[in-house]
Amino acid sequence: MMPLRTTDRRRSRQGDRMRVAFVLGLLLAVEFYLQPSMIEPRRGAPDLLVLALLLLAIRRTPGVAALIGFVIGLVIDVLTPARFGAGILAHVLVGWGAAWGRALFFADNLMVNAALFFVGTWMRDMLMLVFSGTPLRDLPAEALVWAPLQSISTAVVGVIVVLVFRDWLAIRIET
Amino acid sequence: MRGPAGHQTARSDVLLFAGCLALALLALSLPRRWTLTFAAALRQTALRPIVALRSRAAQDRTLRFDVEQVRRSRDSLALLVQQHDGLRRENDELRGLVGVRARLNHPSVSAEVLHQPALTDTRMLLLDVGSANGVRMFDPVVTADGLLGSIVSAGPHSSSALTWVNPDFAASAVTADGRVSGFVHPAATTSGANSLLELDGVALRDSLAIGTVVMTAGAGGTYPMGIPIGRVVAIGREENGYDRTYRVVPFAYPGAASHVLVLVSPRDSVYPRAPPAVPRP
Repeated sequence: MMPLRTTDRRRSRQGDRMRVAFVLGLLLAVEFYLQPSMIEPRRGAPDLLVLALLLLAIRRTPGVAALIGFVIGLVIDVLTPARFGAGILAHVLVGWGAAWGRALFFADNLMVNAALFFVGTWMRDMLMLVFSGTPLRDLPAEALVWAPLQSISTAVVGVIVVLVFRDWLAIRIET
Repeated sequence: MRGPAGHQTARSDVLLFAGCLALALLALSLPRRWTLTFAAALRQTALRPIVALRSRAAQDRTLRFDVEQVRRSRDSLALLVQQHDGLRRENDELRGLVGVRARLNHPSVSAEVLHQPALTDTRMLLLDVGSANGVRMFDPVVTADGLLGSIVSAGPHSSSALTWVNPDFAASAVTADGRVSGFVHPAATTSGANSLLELDGVALRDSLAIGTVVMTAGAGGTYPMGIPIGRVVAIGREENGYDRTYRVVPFAYPGAASHVLVLVSPRDSVYPRAPPAVPRP
């Protein structure tokens, strides 16, 4: 196979970014309008913001992933101010962890993606609960009931997104 | 092995991460008053489109799916009002005879709850009404079923309400017959995955039956008298040898609330709000 020229590579990279941005825009539209306008609020509903963070984090360097986590955490903290800063800290750590994790596993596998979405969401939930000062008595129910429920629903949505946009979200290893 | 460029990237990554971490820790350590003000300011400026979009989504959901339910509620309320009309008139006459002032009405502002998927959402709810609608700090938030909490921060077009799930919640309470009073706060135990409340400070001699309805007592100036809180489901521990704690299942769950009422002033309370300080001449 002929190696891509620099301009072609740049164009291809730009196209990839546009496609990923489109998928993320779609996720945000569903998160902020479509989901709340169609479904009654329920605990354990999929969190598309953390899904967006994980999808972005495995495509970026750990530092940039932490920065994206910071922004998403800030949005969550401003909209749900149970304890300001808890969301930021949790998302920075999860973003950084997901980006570093990319070095340990091959993120283009569907099952690995599903596991990443599940573990990432569960970790984010637990970190947020701990940093926001959740009383110890509430932690077992949150850790064993609500956080896994939300992690499963987020992972299912994540797998559907990855399946539907498989070609667009494929991670290309550049040489 | 990484070259010099690789080292550069890794260093900038670590710096970015450390910076984000430091800012997050700083945000976590700021006093609550500052963070609430900062969050309200961000909701009013940069995140205003998101809040407006969520509010619009909640209204659209009501229009699409809840119309039949709203119609049923309206019909049953109309029936209730008709039945209670005579009773209210009689009550007013009796109050007039004994010289008791007329009962204060509680003006209210209806609001949509803008739920977030975060698990901490039930502790602090975001409402789509603010000071522009007459909502102020400490205004009580209720549903048709009972008490949810009170406003802790009110921006012009949105506000945050602290709910009874939050560890900082406390309210003076009294039984429906007015015989026994105490304080309710989040319980140290849960019922399955759901939180409970605890009624504290009930003297041993005032034993309560299971099923007793608990309401707000009106002391403290935040919650007016008579808002249903919940029902006693179990007897908790005995403390100090002279009082007992009861577990209460609340009537209203913050996670399930989509439409709420914010009770705005004037409120009926034994401790009216203090007048604003007048500067000395």
